[in-house]
Amino acid sequence: MASEKAWQVNRARDTILARVRLAERTALLPRAPAEMPRHLEFASQPAEPCLERFQREARALGIETFLEASAAGVRNRIKTLVINRRVFSWDPELLPYDLGSILDNVVLSRDTRQEQALAEIGVTGCDGAIAETGTLAMLSGRGKSRAAALLPPVHVAVAQRSDLCLSMSEFFRKKSGKLRAAASCSFITGPSRTADIELTLTVGVHGPGRVIVVIGP
Amino acid sequence: MSSPFQQRVLAAMGDQGLRSALDRATAQLGDRRKNAFSSLDHSDLIRDISRYAKMDLLRDLSGNLQRFEHALQDNGAQVHWAEDGPRANSIIVDIARQGRVKLAVKSKSMVTEETHLNEALEHAGMEVVDTDLGEYIVQLARSRPSHIIAPIIHMSRADVGRVMEQRIGVPFSDDPQTLARYARERLRTYFLRADMGITGANFGVVETGTICLVTNEGNGGMVTTLPRIHVVLMGIEKLVPTLAHLDLFLKILARSATGQKLSVYTTLVSGPRARDHESGPEEVHVILLDNGRSNILAGETAEILGCIRCGACLNACPVYKNIGGHAYGDTYSGPIGAIVTPGLKGLHDWKDLPGASSLCGACREVCPVRLDIPKMLLSLRKTSIEQGLSTFDMRMAMTAFGIVARSPNLYRFFAALVRWVLRRSTQQAWVKTAPGLAAGWTKVRDLKVPAAKNFQQQWRARKRGK
Repeated sequence: MASEKAWQVNRARDTILARVRLAERTALLPRAPAEMPRHLEFASQPAEPCLERFQREARALGIETFLEASAAGVRNRIKTLVINRRVFSWDPELLPYDLGSILDNVVLSRDTRQEQALAEIGVTGCDGAIAETGTLAMLSGRGKSRAAALLPPVHVAVAQRSDLCLSMSEFFRKKSGKLRAAASCSFITGPSRTADIELTLTVGVHGPGRVIVVIGP
Repeated sequence: MSSPFQQRVLAAMGDQGLRSALDRATAQLGDRRKNAFSSLDHSDLIRDISRYAKMDLLRDLSGNLQRFEHALQDNGAQVHWAEDGPRANSIIVDIARQGRVKLAVKSKSMVTEETHLNEALEHAGMEVVDTDLGEYIVQLARSRPSHIIAPIIHMSRADVGRVMEQRIGVPFSDDPQTLARYARERLRTYFLRADMGITGANFGVVETGTICLVTNEGNGGMVTTLPRIHVVLMGIEKLVPTLAHLDLFLKILARSATGQKLSVYTTLVSGPRARDHESGPEEVHVILLDNGRSNILAGETAEILGCIRCGACLNACPVYKNIGGHAYGDTYSGPIGAIVTPGLKGLHDWKDLPGASSLCGACREVCPVRLDIPKMLLSLRKTSIEQGLSTFDMRMAMTAFGIVARSPNLYRFFAALVRWVLRRSTQQAWVKTAPGLAAGWTKVRDLKVPAAKNFQQQWRARKRGK
């Protein structure tokens, strides 16, 4: 039975590849003019304009941004944001600025789906902040629940200045090793939205309707 | 006698509600696209590079598919190949059976519409739920999407409210916020219970074996994160060479589709979670589907395989704006549907579609990868005539026109005759019902009454006057 299946898989693969090879010979596909560049690398920019750009783009998307000058400032900001709320967070040791010290009694990635679904606010770090689109990048990994940025109605992400890059290409270059090791990578560009009904914008469809970014030193 | 396509067109043209909804929506999406491209530096160059990256990739599609397969397997994903829709569906049903799946959740995918996957899973006794808001409504209404990006572009808010009231028993509302909340609450329970997530792929990155998915609602994230098993069904043409290219394609995709710089959720999936990780699927299966694509690659419309399904050509097309997506009769509508459907399913049964274009070139203008859609449509029309697929009436009419058009005297005579008949048929500026053979023309449109003298007569008169 198993070998029967394997044989079928190989047969389908061989058939398709043979058809494609044959098709390639007659395919009418336009060729690029010789002088046209084949790739475009976007120059990265120094951190400061990136920070301004990130904040501008993020705000235009409806993301609330806070800029903090010190680790203590970040901790205070998070404390006021999560107060009296049920928190679903990445494992504390994976969050920057010693945030673990102020987050107690929180739901983590090892807890049950039901507990996670009841959380009112999700707290995560991030692996990149892309300036030209106001995007947060998060690589999957142990203790870094992807659901923390998806299930709760509010998502608070903590970014460090060093996470900033200008473009997605720059992020891919900077993190190529980590990216290769991760099973998935999520880019989040603003609150969850839809315009499916008469093109009327509605936020918070499946993911969080409120996204907050706290940028530390 | 009219073909099924002509009947669908007539029905759509008679639906005033549909036409005004299409007018509003396509105009708005078109404007958003235009504004979004103004914020992109080097946009022309990015479009060119993307176009030829795709063309070069297709030239060696067999090699790229094998590299992609190996990269996926290195990441721990399982790769399957399917020659057609039914075989793809049966592979997915097998995976679901082996995983003891009771409930599957789907994020927006055109290719699963193409293979009718929902029916296959339901037939096998499993529950399957579409989670994109528009597709969920389509599923509840037991209808089909009518636009690649905006599946329920043809429905009003009251239509949506009635469908939800009837099918899931919520109080009627025509407020989009309330309707979206209903869907969120209902679909949340499915996300949390589902054993399997099914998605398409916006792109597959050959270099790294990465699947890229974009959504705005977050359902793509949910479907690839919460269930134990993730199944990707993708056409063999959806590849891009590298992550750096992916960045370029993403820059033009969302701008063309919805006028955003980037969709809200862009998810990259390379494989199952590591053993000691708590979240993400334990199994990732990727099914590479041919279903007629190798056939398209072999022929005159191979270029269409570069399409990234942004829907910009639908919004720009004067024909789509008037008839909507359902009139095209299959999964893919608009200018690209008119090329893709005959390519996937054979020109014989779909010979009308390449005719559904005024060849104005608006589609080519807005296409982010500059596909020469009018040229492909013309080429399909030529083939359908060469294969003798045109109707007897059409052949006769065209032969007669050929004779008349080649003789200046005959042409002048018939032009004068038509002018005389039309001018006599009404006192108004527009002819509402043309006499005789021309009656078909005025069934769905008015005809301007011709001038008393034609251009040549006026030209001669003017020269004499000098």
